[in-house]
Amino acid sequence: MFGSVQSCLLVGFDVRTIEVQADIAHGGSKFFLVGLAATSVKEARERVRSAIKNSGLEFPGQRLTVNLAPAELRKEGSALDLPIAVAIALARAGKTAPPRTAFLGELALDGAVRHVDGVLVAARGLRGLGFEHIFVPAADAAEAVLVDGLVVTPCTNLKAVIGHLLGIETIEPYISSGTEAIPDTGAWEHDLAEVHGQEEGRRALEIAAAGGHHLLLSGPPGAGKTMLARCLPGILPPLELNEALEVAQVRSLLGELPGRQPLDWARPFRAPHHGVSMAGLIGGGTGLAQPGEISRAHHGVLFLDELAEFQAPVLQALRQPLETGRVAITRSAGSVTYPARFTLVAATNPCPCGWAGDSIRSCRCTPGGIESYQRRLSGPLLDRIDLKVGVRRVKLETLASEPTGEGSAAVRERVVAARRGQIDRQGCLNAQLKPARLRKLAALEPASRRTLERWSEQRGLTARGFHRAWRVARTAADLEGSDQIREHHILEALGYRLQDVAA
Amino acid sequence: MLPPEAAELRTRGRWPPPEGPRAAIVGSRQPSPYGEAVAEQLGADLARAGVIVISGLALGIDAAAHRGALIGGGATVAVMGTGVDIVYPAAHSKLAEDILAAGGALVSQFPDGMTPRRHNFPARNWTMATLSDVVVVVEAAERSGALITAEAALDLHKEVMAVPGSVFSPLSVGTHGLIRDGAGLVQNARDVLAVLGATQEVLDDPLSPPRSLGIELSPGRDGILSHLSDVLALTAAEIARKLQLPVAEVLGRLTALELDGAVRRHHDGYVRALRKGQKRA
Repeated sequence: MFGSVQSCLLVGFDVRTIEVQADIAHGGSKFFLVGLAATSVKEARERVRSAIKNSGLEFPGQRLTVNLAPAELRKEGSALDLPIAVAIALARAGKTAPPRTAFLGELALDGAVRHVDGVLVAARGLRGLGFEHIFVPAADAAEAVLVDGLVVTPCTNLKAVIGHLLGIETIEPYISSGTEAIPDTGAWEHDLAEVHGQEEGRRALEIAAAGGHHLLLSGPPGAGKTMLARCLPGILPPLELNEALEVAQVRSLLGELPGRQPLDWARPFRAPHHGVSMAGLIGGGTGLAQPGEISRAHHGVLFLDELAEFQAPVLQALRQPLETGRVAITRSAGSVTYPARFTLVAATNPCPCGWAGDSIRSCRCTPGGIESYQRRLSGPLLDRIDLKVGVRRVKLETLASEPTGEGSAAVRERVVAARRGQIDRQGCLNAQLKPARLRKLAALEPASRRTLERWSEQRGLTARGFHRAWRVARTAADLEGSDQIREHHILEALGYRLQDVAA
Repeated sequence: MLPPEAAELRTRGRWPPPEGPRAAIVGSRQPSPYGEAVAEQLGADLARAGVIVISGLALGIDAAAHRGALIGGGATVAVMGTGVDIVYPAAHSKLAEDILAAGGALVSQFPDGMTPRRHNFPARNWTMATLSDVVVVVEAAERSGALITAEAALDLHKEVMAVPGSVFSPLSVGTHGLIRDGAGLVQNARDVLAVLGATQEVLDDPLSPPRSLGIELSPGRDGILSHLSDVLALTAAEIARKLQLPVAEVLGRLTALELDGAVRRHHDGYVRALRKGQKRA
């Protein structure tokens, strides 16, 4: 007697289909599980045996062989429990599984179907591979139903699933509970209206939001760098459906999606501590690498406070994701790729003691100390940050008065318009324009070109720095609704190149 | 702390220096453009008057004083806090060479090969006071090392003088304190020469302020310049508030001025540049 069902395995964001085959043959009471199963999958034998028995079904007292195909792929995790049990039950009943249908779920010894991580990732992947129906743990049904065109059957226990498949009692498909609700854009914890002064910082934030540029804020402790950074998500447009799904996929893999309302339209804001490890920031862990902070910040903001305090190798590892918007991590168990298209906001003190250039307190650092501090910040990572601004402490008497700046909602309107213009023109944000497309799509007026070239010559800009200033100028022009990059746009963009000043 | 005898000094270049009065010019390692310009001007004018300019080869005021003395065509002596064979900061190796080439000297109380160590510098400051007839402090914040040199000079019964600055500038707190306590006020090199007893009139017009030398502005770009200070850095935001202009526009106009060399950008804002060719801080 033979039965077979489809399931899948996650390799990062990739989905590989697995065929679970069960064969019951004559012979002694044995249970073989073959097909390169890792320990966590081998344990499935015990769970499946108990679950079947305790569901009031009979476990075959014969020679039972379960094969996980393809055999060359190493299988990890507990999501194969349910498909194994279903395959055995179908083999016993002599039934075939419905077509284009996949099963996922962990079994408890009493037959209950338990939550597994990554159901949203699996569901999107399976839909892409042509599957139309998916059986998932009831706890994860809200995730799977986010995927268009997929029938989701919520499974609470093994008995009900088998009953449904054998036509005894039907389980109703899970119906979406209105996830397309209009995203809430009003309520942000941090609003620019509460920021005192900081006109330069505000302007830089607006440009960062409008063009997807990375931003460095430099200033003494308590100048308001963190406050500014936290305002960034609030001036970004809410996530598009596709983006929200990608954000939710990362959370799904990590098992962090809330069951009821898995889609969150707010842009992620991640602020890892400077002691964060390589695995924590970039992704990693044992076996296949888990997504790190940079992937959690996908489509959102990654805020690195005290940039100079981060371990140098950790910062170096940011270079690839900053360029490509994704990160590839290789472990012995295999290589995975996660999305990591975030806006980086970094904050730093100007010197080790933090008070260089402050108008009231004087700096106590040695020139050598300042130099080595700056050097730690400089180099390839800083070269990839488009905007660098100094943030100064606001006078106490100003803090006591009502702030007078614009609120986030007004700024967001301009940002949204500028971003829409970029997408219509070039299909991506200015920060992601390659030099060749930049030349084609963002031609410089003669005066603008002369100014940019003069500055590059004076300050010894790298080609990368040259293009960065160019892109920022394009965004400044977009915010003004100007097709042309005028000289004042270039001049403003160069004003955000604090790194061209040595001290 | 006992001042070391001059005989114990390790030296490079011409030592002892030519006959003549000796003035130490000391101050902050992170001066304002104003302080840097004053130090350079004083160094040049004093050197022209035959005064040996002594300083510590450090960043900021020290370097400006040495540079000035070289411009004035005089001998200048760098009193180092490291061995004479180790130039600290390394960026000043060219300056050290220039000092030697112009008939000056590098001297140190420390053995050759001594690397920079924090506790050596106060001792160096004493030596500087020992070797000088007068100590002129140009810009010094509240706990500046230049104040140690001034204190040493007082203990050694040497003259201490100080250059006044803006009352808003933290870099003038130390110098104003010295003046309050009786240090001589320095407006120009003539004030220093008077204290040294060098009576010869060598200066054309000792009261003229440093001229801004040949900064050529692109047309229509000098409106902001009058709002900038040469001592206190102002941020683009502060200037924008004063002029009631959008910060983006002010930032652009400041960049244009920066391109022309008329303003300099620091980490905390913009200052007016006093002379063309002054190297970026």
